[in-house]
Amino acid sequence: MCMRCAEVSRRSLLAGGGALAAAFATGIAQARIRPADMVPLVGPGFRPTETDEIGLWQLMDRAEEEISGSNLLIKDPRLTSYLQEIIGHVGGPAAKDMRIYLAHIPEFNAMMFPSGFAVVFTGLLLRMRNEAQLAGVIAHESGHFLRRHMIRSWRDQKRKSDIFAIGAMAAGVAGAGAGVYLGDYVQLAQLGTLLSLFAYSRAMEAEADAMGARLIAEAGYPPIEMANVWEQLIGEMDASAAYRRKHRRRGSLFDTHPSEGSRLADLKISAEEVTIPGRPYDTGKSRYLSKIESIRPMLLEDQVKLNDPGASQYLINTLAQDGWNGLLRYYEGEVWRLRNRAGDDVRAAQSYAVAVAYPDAPAEAWRWHGLSLIKEGRSGEGKAALGKYLKLKPGAPDAPFIRQMAS
Amino acid sequence: MRKVGLAIALALSVTASGCVQSRQYADVQFTPPKGDYRLLVMRPDVAVNSLTTGGMSQPRADWTEQARGNVIEALRAEQAGHGGKVLVLARRNELPNVSAEEIADLERLHYAVGNSIALHKYSGYALPTKRGKGLEYTLGEDAVSLGRRTGYDYALFLYAEDNIASTGRTALQVLGVAGCFIGFCAPSGGSNQFAYASLVDLRTGEVVWFNVLQTGSQLPGVSFGDIRSRQGADQMVERLLGRMKPGSEVGDERTQSAERR
Repeated sequence: MCMRCAEVSRRSLLAGGGALAAAFATGIAQARIRPADMVPLVGPGFRPTETDEIGLWQLMDRAEEEISGSNLLIKDPRLTSYLQEIIGHVGGPAAKDMRIYLAHIPEFNAMMFPSGFAVVFTGLLLRMRNEAQLAGVIAHESGHFLRRHMIRSWRDQKRKSDIFAIGAMAAGVAGAGAGVYLGDYVQLAQLGTLLSLFAYSRAMEAEADAMGARLIAEAGYPPIEMANVWEQLIGEMDASAAYRRKHRRRGSLFDTHPSEGSRLADLKISAEEVTIPGRPYDTGKSRYLSKIESIRPMLLEDQVKLNDPGASQYLINTLAQDGWNGLLRYYEGEVWRLRNRAGDDVRAAQSYAVAVAYPDAPAEAWRWHGLSLIKEGRSGEGKAALGKYLKLKPGAPDAPFIRQMAS
Repeated sequence: MRKVGLAIALALSVTASGCVQSRQYADVQFTPPKGDYRLLVMRPDVAVNSLTTGGMSQPRADWTEQARGNVIEALRAEQAGHGGKVLVLARRNELPNVSAEEIADLERLHYAVGNSIALHKYSGYALPTKRGKGLEYTLGEDAVSLGRRTGYDYALFLYAEDNIASTGRTALQVLGVAGCFIGFCAPSGGSNQFAYASLVDLRTGEVVWFNVLQTGSQLPGVSFGDIRSRQGADQMVERLLGRMKPGSEVGDERTQSAERR
């Protein structure tokens, strides 16, 4: 259901006999699904008519009530209306029915719920380089809804767990009775476990990719941007892993998703397939950047505080491919400073020094530039830089302390 | 012969595993509200699922609606006997001067506190610092403020989940228990219920009483009150709230009451 779901919880696997389902899902190599074959299965104003789906929707309405009222949501109307506008472009026949929420979580993720509302994490907005990339992810999520993946996967699991239960009984496997209700007291409400039931199969993820490519191409975005998102994500994970001297985790993160390499290859072929030669496509880069400008410092701040220098550095360098600026240079310095290994202070100092040369350098860049200079023994220049910081941010919480140093 | 003996022993243990369990905890000084008190029942969180053959809980919207209505009525009827004034919230925006967001926040706070109580009181992860202290949890200032603005003395939070075995599941249970007679027992869970209630004193913000109810049977066809019917809802509410004990009686010793059928 989401871009990168970790894994189905062990409990639901046991309870649902889903282990069997997972074994089925992973053992088979998938042929690429062609965008042309991806016909939306729901029309405008879709409402469920069958008992199982009605039940799911009712539960999802409760989930949406909770999520929409969560204090993790960013409710800035400029951002939320922007996201709503995008889903309105790439939502196919259900464009008018879908809702989208922005959660303040510094992770790359987005998810679609069975009743047609999506949640996008702020970490996604940090990583997207243009509107087309964001639209690509949203279109992928819309694809899950348009192809009715949630109810299809539920029915599939139900069928498999039924077969599993009867099969286990017939074979006389003692103790296999799945789903003995153990009274898990910690699970006082079931919203959490519910989500794990909607892990989509690889085939469904491939469908959503194909459907997404088609949707964004129709909306006038270059479909290759979807592949670019994936390429960036793979690069980021490699960088993060290399920093920790480990290999990128294979398998677990992508259990329910097609393997990253094949997914990227398929996305590229699909993109070519849906691109109409001669038609102009717009990545909407400047529009995207101006829309997220107000929260970009927050997004970067969240990221560097994750203590994942490999990934943070990769991200900053990727974003800088569209041009360095004071903000990116400042956070480049922050990555070094927070890593704090031998020589990192010098690297950080260099970044701050470059950052303050840009007109958009944040006030904090002047503070750290000043403090770095003082550390180097250039106290006159350092004090001048601190003075600039105080001028830009007279009410800063550390202003009295800095004032003392600058005087 | 030995084999048959084993089978019978197993069959007996299966019978015994079908039961109703409730275990309550209360603040040491707690006495059940009586007389002229005002009780606010927060929107009851009710879910009724159909238990599929494979053991998955499939949510049923129609049953849930029906059960919610029954539980609310059962609550009203149960409380009518105690003499207090009761308001059962059906929506979050029903109280004057209190926004839906505030109610939602309090519900979420209670959800977190309730989880903590469940973890440390019921799941066996007892906290050494809370031993012998009854129930020591609070919703704090938010709850007190709600009480001040609305004039209610207590708030009751209630969660109820009912899983009804489908025909296929019941058949599977029959097979499992029948197997006992040929020496192979494979009992599987059937209809079951899980509910909890939590009483918060709105004058202090403290959770003064907490009860968890669990019913379940591995015998096919046996269920312990089905909240889709009014009678079943009455039964559940009675089991959950009917025997509210003062704090001195429950304390920290295990007062687990199990009824058998």
